[in-house]
Amino acid sequence: MMPALSRSAPAQDAVVLLQVAGITKWYGEQRALADVSFDIRRGEILGLIGPNGSGKTTLLETVAGLLPVDAGHVLWQRSSLPQHRRRDVIFYLPDGVRPWDGQHVIHVLEFFASAFGRQAAELDEVTRSVGLEQVLGKYVCALSKGYARRLMLALALLTPHPVVLMDEPFDGFDIRQTREMMALMRRVAAHGRSFTLAIHQLADAERVCDRFILLADGRVCGAGSLGDLRVRTGKTNAGLEDVFLALT
Amino acid sequence: MRSPDKTTVQQASLRALLGKEVRELLSGRALWTMLLLLCPLVGYSFFQAVALYGEASAAARDQPQVATSLSPLDGILVPTFGAFYVTVTLLFPFVAIRALGREKETGALKLLVQLPYPIPTLVGAKLAAVTIAWLIAVIPVAAALLLWRSFHGHLNPLETSNLLLGYLLYGQLIGAIALFAAAISDNSATAAIVTLAFTIGSWVLDFALAGQSGTLGWISRLSLTQALRTFEQGLLSAALVLGMCAAIASFATLAAIWLHPGTSLHKRLARTILCVGVAGTILAAATELRKTIDVSEDNRNSFPAADQRALARLDEPLIITVHLAPEDPRYVDLQRNVLSKLERIVSNVTIHLVTAGQSVIGSAGEESYGEIEYSYGGQAAKSRSTSHREALPLIYGLADVPAPTPQTGEDYPGYPLVADEWIALPWFFVAFPLLLAVAWWWWSRRAPRIPPLFLKNGGQL
Repeated sequence: MMPALSRSAPAQDAVVLLQVAGITKWYGEQRALADVSFDIRRGEILGLIGPNGSGKTTLLETVAGLLPVDAGHVLWQRSSLPQHRRRDVIFYLPDGVRPWDGQHVIHVLEFFASAFGRQAAELDEVTRSVGLEQVLGKYVCALSKGYARRLMLALALLTPHPVVLMDEPFDGFDIRQTREMMALMRRVAAHGRSFTLAIHQLADAERVCDRFILLADGRVCGAGSLGDLRVRTGKTNAGLEDVFLALT
Repeated sequence: MRSPDKTTVQQASLRALLGKEVRELLSGRALWTMLLLLCPLVGYSFFQAVALYGEASAAARDQPQVATSLSPLDGILVPTFGAFYVTVTLLFPFVAIRALGREKETGALKLLVQLPYPIPTLVGAKLAAVTIAWLIAVIPVAAALLLWRSFHGHLNPLETSNLLLGYLLYGQLIGAIALFAAAISDNSATAAIVTLAFTIGSWVLDFALAGQSGTLGWISRLSLTQALRTFEQGLLSAALVLGMCAAIASFATLAAIWLHPGTSLHKRLARTILCVGVAGTILAAATELRKTIDVSEDNRNSFPAADQRALARLDEPLIITVHLAPEDPRYVDLQRNVLSKLERIVSNVTIHLVTAGQSVIGSAGEESYGEIEYSYGGQAAKSRSTSHREALPLIYGLADVPAPTPQTGEDYPGYPLVADEWIALPWFFVAFPLLLAVAWWWWSRRAPRIPPLFLKNGGQL
C-alpha cells in the first residue's frame, strides 16, 4: 500500500460547507441515484468511490446543478442552495472533456482567468503549478491526454470556488504525474478549498482522500474516513479495496 | 448564503467571452468553407447582373426614356445579394450552429455555463460572434459593390444601406434560429435539420401559400424570404424591423432557456410558452405599426411628389372596397400601384377585400367583380383601373381638392452603364478565393501571443 499524502487537519473536525440531502435521480425507468446524502467539509479531499455505472458522474453533475434532480436538495452552510446558484460556490470539472480544442492553450487559460478576474501573475502561478508552460502555444486538440488533464486541472485552479468537484481527475496521468497532482491538490486544500473526487482507482483514492463516500448502484454504501470504514467492516488493517468490497 | 467572490463575478470580462466566441468561429472550417463557396457564387451573380445591366443600358442609348427605368438597386444590388441570400439561407446555419453545437458535443458547455456570466449573456455573445461571422461573409458582396463603383457605377447610399440592414437582420435571424436549434439538439446534425426546416420551410410557404388570403395569407407572411422583399423594394418598414428584431430576440431567448442542462424540462417548457406568448404579442403589436419610409431613389413606393403632398392633407377616412380575389393579378397590380402607396401617405385609410377567401374562378362571374370603390367624405366613386393615374383623380374629386400639377425636374434620371464585366470572373473565381485560402492558412498556423511573464520565467514554445 502506498503511503497517504500528509493531511492538514482531521476531516471530521472541519466546518461543513455543503450538505447533499436525499438526492434521487431517474433516467426514464432506470434509477441512477437513490436518496444520496453526504456532506463536504472545508479543506478536505473527499473521495467518491464506486465502480463504473455506480452513479458517480450523475451525482457530481446533480450536485453542481448541471442535471435536474427528481428529489433532494443541496445546502450551503445550512441554507438552501438552489440549482441556479450552485455555480456561485461549486465548480465541477467533467471527465473526458477537451474544451475549445480549436484554440491555443494560452487563449483558453486567459479566457478562464479573465472570466474570474484573475491577474496575470495568478495565471502564471497556476500554469507553472500544473506544468503547462511548455505547451502554451499548442492547440488544445494537439495536447497529449496527460497535458489535456493538466489543462483541465489548471482551469479548476483558476476558479475561486470553495468547493471543486472533479470527475476522474487522475485519468490519463502516469504515476509520477498523479503524485504531483495529488500533492498540488493537497497544498490547495490546505488553504481551505474542498475537493470532491470521483475516482475508480482505489489506490489513488486511498492515497489522496481524507474521507470517502462509497457508491454502488446509485446508493451510498458507506461514508467516512478509512479508519471509520475499517471499524464498520471489522477489518482493522484492510485497505480501501477490501473495505469497498466488504461494504458493496 | 455567501458567495465566494462577488466582485469577480461582477467583473467577468465580456471582451474575453466575445474573443473566445470569435476565435471559436474562426478556428472552425465552416466559416472559411462558406466564404470559399460564396466567392464564385457572388462573383457569377455580379458578372451576370453587370452583363444584363450593360445590355439594357446599350438599348437606352437609342431610347433615352428606357434609361429612367435603369436602377442599380434592381439591376445590380438585388441580383448580387441574391447569391448571398442563398448562401446565408443554406450555409450560414452551419456556421452559426458551430458557435454552440461544438461546445455541446465536446462537453465544453458544462464548463461554460459554470462561468460567472448570466446565461443570456452567453447567448448574446454567441449571437454577437455570429453577427461578426456575417460581417466577414458579406465581404465578397462588398467587394462586388466596390468593383461596381470602380466601373463608375451608381450606388445610392440610402438604398444600399437599407438593403444591407435587411440582410443583416435576416442573417441575425438565421443565426438566432440556429442557436436555438443547437440549444435544443443533442448534436450539430440535428440542429442543422431543425434550422433548415425553418429556412427551407420559408420557401415552401412562399411557393404554396403566396397570394392566399385569410389565415393562409397570414401564415405566408411569416416566411423569412418575404421579409427581405420589402428591403429589396427600397422600403424601410418600422413594423418589419421591429418584427425581425423581436423574432431575433425571441429565438435568442429560447436558446438561453434551453441552454442550461440543469434546468428541468417542465421549467423549460413553461418559460418557452411565456417567451412565445410575449413574442407573439410584440409581433402582433408590430403589425399595427404603419410607419414606412420609401428610401428608393426613384421613389417607386410613392406617388409623384405633388400627389404625395396633396394626399397627405386628406384627413377624413378614405375607405376602399376591392372586389378582386387576392390571387388575381389585377389585385397584385392595384396593391403595388395604388393601395400600398395610399396606406403609407394617407393617415386614415381602410381597405376592404370583399372577396377574401374566394377564388378568381368562384368570383369572376359576379357583376361587381373587378370593381374598386372609393369612399371619402360621404361620397363614393367606382373604378376598375389598377393604375394610380385613374385612381388619384377619383380620390381628388371625392375630396373636392384640385389635382396637383405634375412638377418637372423630379423624374428619376436612371443610371445606364455599360461596363466590362469580365474582370469580375478572375477576381471572384481565382484571386479572392486564393486570398481567403492564404488568410485561412495564416490563421490556423499563427503562433499565439504569449504574455512576457511566461517567457521571462523560462516558458518555452
